[in-house]
Amino acid sequence: MTEIKNAHFTTLKGAYDTEKMDATLRVRRYDPETKKSRFDTFTVTIPVTASVLDALDAIKDIHDGSLSYRKSCRMAVCGSCGMRVDGGAALACKTPMKKFVDAGHTITVSPMGNLPVIKDLVVDMAPFWQKIRAVKPYLDTLDVDVPAKEWRVAPEDGDLIHKESLCILCGCCVSECNSMESDPEFLGPAALAKAYRFIGDSRDKDTRERLRDLNGAHGIWDCTRCYFCNQRCPKHVDPRDAIAKLGAESFKEGFTRDEGAKHAKVFVDSTYKGGYLRETELVPKTIGPINAIKDIPFALQLARAGKIPNPLSPHKAKDNDEVKRLWKLLEKEAKGQPRRATAKHPDAVQGD
Amino acid sequence: MQDRYAYYPGCLASLSQKELDSSTRAIAKKLEIELVEMPSVTCCGAGDIHEAKPDYYLHISARILGQAEQMGCDTILTICNVCTLNLRQANKALQEDKAVLARVNDNLMQVGAATYQGGVDIRHLLWEVSAGEGYDRFKSIAVKSLEGLKVAPFYGCQILRPAKILGFEDSDRPQSLERLITACGAEPIDYPAKVKCCGFPIVLAREDVALGELVQPLQQAKEAGADVIVTPCPLCHLSLDAWQRKASAFAGNDFQIPILHLAQLLGAAAGISESELKFKRHVTRLTPEVKGKLKLPSVVGIEA
Repeated sequence: MTEIKNAHFTTLKGAYDTEKMDATLRVRRYDPETKKSRFDTFTVTIPVTASVLDALDAIKDIHDGSLSYRKSCRMAVCGSCGMRVDGGAALACKTPMKKFVDAGHTITVSPMGNLPVIKDLVVDMAPFWQKIRAVKPYLDTLDVDVPAKEWRVAPEDGDLIHKESLCILCGCCVSECNSMESDPEFLGPAALAKAYRFIGDSRDKDTRERLRDLNGAHGIWDCTRCYFCNQRCPKHVDPRDAIAKLGAESFKEGFTRDEGAKHAKVFVDSTYKGGYLRETELVPKTIGPINAIKDIPFALQLARAGKIPNPLSPHKAKDNDEVKRLWKLLEKEAKGQPRRATAKHPDAVQGD
Repeated sequence: MQDRYAYYPGCLASLSQKELDSSTRAIAKKLEIELVEMPSVTCCGAGDIHEAKPDYYLHISARILGQAEQMGCDTILTICNVCTLNLRQANKALQEDKAVLARVNDNLMQVGAATYQGGVDIRHLLWEVSAGEGYDRFKSIAVKSLEGLKVAPFYGCQILRPAKILGFEDSDRPQSLERLITACGAEPIDYPAKVKCCGFPIVLAREDVALGELVQPLQQAKEAGADVIVTPCPLCHLSLDAWQRKASAFAGNDFQIPILHLAQLLGAAAGISESELKFKRHVTRLTPEVKGKLKLPSVVGIEA
C-alpha cells in the first residue's frame, strides 16, 4: 500500500491507528452494458477489525471506483449490504474479515441469488418488494374501531410475533431459497415471515383472508423445508418457523384443501390410527384418486422394487391407544381456548 | 459412539425403504453396537405434524423420547435426516422450557404414556461413525477397499440446517460423508448441490417445484463423473432413486445413477452380503460395473 492517507481510512473513523492486515478478496463483477461477468481479485490493507463491507470500501476507494454495491448503516440494521460471501448470503457489514485472513483464505464475494443482478454486487430488489407488498404488510383492522390514542399490545401477544418483527428486509433468506430457485413466483421466506408478523398480531382482524391467499399456488405449501432461510437470516427471524406457524394457523382456521395441507393431514391421521405413516394413503389423499390413477405407471416401478407396503396390513405400533387419547385430550384443550391465547378486544387492553 | 442405542428407524426404513433398516442392523452388528427396539413409537411427523398441529407434535415427540428413557437409553440412534431434525427440535423445546415440559408430562401422564425427564440425545448414524471412536471402529471393519468407485455425497437438508439444532459440522462445507467415503477406499466427488434440497417434502403436493430441485444434484453428480450418489436420508434416497426417471424426463437427460443409503455403502466396505444390503429394492438398479466396484458377488437372485 502507498503512503497516502487513504480515503477509505476516513470511512473507518476510530480504526485509523489500529493494527492492520492484508486481505485478498475475489469479487464477482457484472457489466450491464456488455452483459459480461468476471471475477476480479484485490488485495487491500485494512484494520484487523474490518468487515467485508470495509474491505469493499477500501477496494472502491483505492483500486476501482466503479465497483458497485449497496450499503448504508454499517451496523446490521438497514439491510442494504446483503451479498454472498463464499456462496452464502450474509450482511457484508456483519461479517468480519479477520477470520478469513487468519486462515489464509481468499473469500469470494458475489451478488445474492434468486434476484436479477443489475451491476456487480447490486441486485434488483423489485421482485422482493413485490412479494412483500403481496402479503399486505400492514395492519388491517377491518371494521374494528381503532382506539383514539394508542392501541396497546400485551407483552404475551407481542412475544408471539417478536421474532418475525426483527426482519430488516435484507433478502439473505431469499437468496438461497431452494423452492424459489425452482419456482420464482414462490412468495418465499421474507414475505411469508412478514405475513405471519401480521397474522399473528392480535390487532389484525384479516386473518382468514390473509390465510386464504397464502393457501394456494406459490404460497406456504411451496416451502421445501431446506432451512436455508433460517441458516442465513442475520437477525434470527427463522422464516421457515414462521411458515410452519402459518401452516398451523391455516389448520386452526380450517384451510386444509391445498395439497400441502392434505399431505400434512395424512401424517397426523397416520399417527392417530397406527403410529407410523401410512405410505399407501399418502399419494391418493394428497393428490386425489384421479391423479393417483394417472400415476400408476410410476407406482408400478415402485411396486417392482418392493416399495409399496401392503395397504391391507398397515404398520401398527404397540400401545397406540395412548396416542389416540393424547390426540383427543389436546383437541379438547384447544377447543376450549380462544384462537390466540391472549387475544383481547383493544378496549380491554387499553383500560388496564 | 456408544455400545447401546434406542433404535428409531422411522417410518420409511420400516416400510418402503426396508433395505435401509436391514443394512443398518447388519452394520450395527459389525460395529458391535446393540440396537434396542422401540415398539410403541409413532412417526416423528416428518415436519408435517409440526406444521399442522405443533402442540400434538411436541407431545408425540416427548412420548418417543420418554420411551427411550424408560428403556434405560440416553441416546436415540436415527437413520433419517427428517427424524433427526424433528426429534432434536422437539427435544430442544422440551429441555429449554421447564414449564412446557411439565405441561407435556402432565398430559402424557393423563393418557397413561411414559413421561420424559429431559435426558435424551438424538444422534444420526452418520455422526456416530464419521468421528471419534465410531470412526475408528468403522475403519477396523472396513475390510474391502472400494477402490475406483466414485461416490457423490448428498447430505440433504435436515442433517445440516438449522445448525443451531443439528450443529454436527459446518453446514456449508460438511466433510463427514467425504471422510467415510474415503475410509471405504472410494473417491469422494465434489459438486455444489450436495448440500441442497432433494425436493422430497413437496414432491407430491408440488411435483414440478420438487423436480426442479431434484435435477440439480442428479445433473451435477453425473457431470462430475460419479458412479453412485450416497445419502444419509431415506427421504432423499426415495426422491433421488424412485423419482429419478421423472427427473430425467423433466431435465431431458437420462441420469441412470444408482443411489446408495449410507448404511449400504458402509456395509459394502465391511463385506456385508447383498442379501442384507438389498440393492434390488432400488428403482434405479446397480449397473454391473458399479456392482463390480462395490465388490458384490455377481450372482443374481439371492436376496429377498
